[in-house]
Amino acid sequence: MRARFLHTDAFRLAAIYTAIFALTVAVLGFSVMFITRDALRTQILQFAGADNAAVQSGYQTAMVREAVEVVQQRMSAPGASDYFLLQQGGRTIAGNLPPMAEQTGIHELAGPGGHVILGMGQKVAPGLYVFSGSDLSRVHAAENRILATMLWLFLLALLVAAGSGFLVSRAFLRRSDAMARACRAIMDGDMKARIPLRGTQDELDRLAATINEMLDRIAALMENLRQVTNDIAHDLRTPVTHLRHGLEQALHDCDAPGDYAAALEAAIRKSDEMLDLFAALLRIAQIEGGARRAAFAPLDLKEVLAGLREVFGAVAEESGHSLQICEMPAAVIRGDRALVVQLFANLIENAVLHTPAGTAITVTLTLAGDRARVVVGDNGPGVPEADHQKLFRRLYRRESSRTYPGYGLGLSLVLAVAELHGASPRILVDRRPGLWIELGFPLLHVAA
Amino acid sequence: MRILVIEDDRKTAEHIVRALGEHGHVVEHAADGATGLARARAGDHAALIVDRMLPGLDGLSLVRQLRDEGVVTPVLFLTTMSGLNDRVEGLEGGGDDYLVKPFAFAELVARVGAITRRAAALEGSGEPVRLRCADLEIDLIRRTTQRAGRDIDLQAQEFRLLEYLLRNTGRVVTRAMLLEHVWDIHFIPRTNVVETHMSRLRTKVDRGFERELIHTVRGVGYVLRAG
Repeated sequence: MRARFLHTDAFRLAAIYTAIFALTVAVLGFSVMFITRDALRTQILQFAGADNAAVQSGYQTAMVREAVEVVQQRMSAPGASDYFLLQQGGRTIAGNLPPMAEQTGIHELAGPGGHVILGMGQKVAPGLYVFSGSDLSRVHAAENRILATMLWLFLLALLVAAGSGFLVSRAFLRRSDAMARACRAIMDGDMKARIPLRGTQDELDRLAATINEMLDRIAALMENLRQVTNDIAHDLRTPVTHLRHGLEQALHDCDAPGDYAAALEAAIRKSDEMLDLFAALLRIAQIEGGARRAAFAPLDLKEVLAGLREVFGAVAEESGHSLQICEMPAAVIRGDRALVVQLFANLIENAVLHTPAGTAITVTLTLAGDRARVVVGDNGPGVPEADHQKLFRRLYRRESSRTYPGYGLGLSLVLAVAELHGASPRILVDRRPGLWIELGFPLLHVAA
Repeated sequence: MRILVIEDDRKTAEHIVRALGEHGHVVEHAADGATGLARARAGDHAALIVDRMLPGLDGLSLVRQLRDEGVVTPVLFLTTMSGLNDRVEGLEGGGDDYLVKPFAFAELVARVGAITRRAAALEGSGEPVRLRCADLEIDLIRRTTQRAGRDIDLQAQEFRLLEYLLRNTGRVVTRAMLLEHVWDIHFIPRTNVVETHMSRLRTKVDRGFERELIHTVRGVGYVLRAG
């Protein structure tokens, strides 16, 4: 666990960069060394050549005496070679080197004190030989200095890279650990745990913010699921209890086959009700899961509403309501026809079932910007504002509607279908009397 | 009529076999897709009842294969309610109708009757221009209705409803079948949509005439017949 930072991407990246840097330093160091050595040797040889030429011209002017004079002069001149030898007949006549073999051209030789001398030999006249050269240890010293500098640079780079790699990966680890801790806390049941943000707006912060949003959504869904499960368990008890009572009573009371048949029919009706409830719940769950998006196609709301007027106009009339559907503009959206039909059918049926006779039900379709706005409403008694939020909850039924058939799933389905189509339903609070629900469907933009 | 039921759930299959047997049909049963396909190819069935979910070969592929081979026997798909897209897929895959489990047997019998009748009508001399039952007659081209020589003025919806009843003369049609075929509604409404429209149609078609043609079948649906 201690060397965990070694396994982070940040550290690996730092290591790779360090290696590349070290390689660069090495190549650069050796190049500089070779170039410097070359330049120094050339310089030595240039001086030697110039010195030899001076001795030669001295000899040509005034024979050996002048040559000796030139050597002695040169030995104290700045910028001249360090070592000189003028020998005649195997004997040193000037200079600071012992006699040597008369080798002409560039060569190295062992000097006093174990030094290596690089220089140039030249025959000035028959029997007269001159050699000028310099100590090579100067060159070696320069090479060593360059190598040492490069080595220090290399070590420094290694240190900086390792250090920053460690720091960066530790910072990264600290934050990823925070994320892991939050996730683990949630796994352990603390649904409120969230990843702390640093407020730096960097990529990790943005990632953390996104994960937190996801967690919020999951928490909301879980809460919803929990509530629905509770409600289902609770709501199913009632019909099952009724079914049981009915069967028990039949067992006790029935004598004639006709009575049994009637009791069984009632039992079948009750189980059908329960099956319907399950079907409705499953349908909502599937719609919320987005299963139907594949079946989306262009669809004109005007046409859908016109069809609904034909179907429900008579129904509303029959129960003493009036249904007015104003669908003047064509409004093409992308959607699932069967579901959109059910959405509006549910809203219209709600109004028919939950308002007294004489109530006027109105559906209007208008265009507002890039949305098709549909408002379904009535001028009935309405719903107190305190209950508005609960209306869309699954299995929620207001006390006053308990006498009507239904499970409290109509508006939940409306909500699920509307959200699937990107049209969040909104209750128009200011619109009174009655209950008014507005839906804004994104219009389909047909390429012109 | 000989009917082949391809259904892997033994209980459901037993129920179907018994229910259809009581209505005078000869019912065969296959418990998996491969056996079902072989029997459907070999036998001369009036209708196939095919479960969508079958071990081995699934129902949809089975019917697709039959259709590819040129077998035109009418098919009624059985689906679970969890498959919202099943209806469209099933009808596109060569099915003639679909039924969501669990279903009432009256519904099953009515739908089997409707698809075999439709198939028989297609084998006849093509699409009829007029439909008739006793002294009631509609003209599908001119969209006119007459009873006992008297013109009856029907609205578009009422005409479609009557047309569907006439196409199924003598057979029970259920509320769900009417909702699907007349109004293209694929859920059970909470208001009495079918009853309202049916009562309006009856007022125009039956009221004031000696015999009623539209009869209510309690708990199931309606039937149009002369007797």
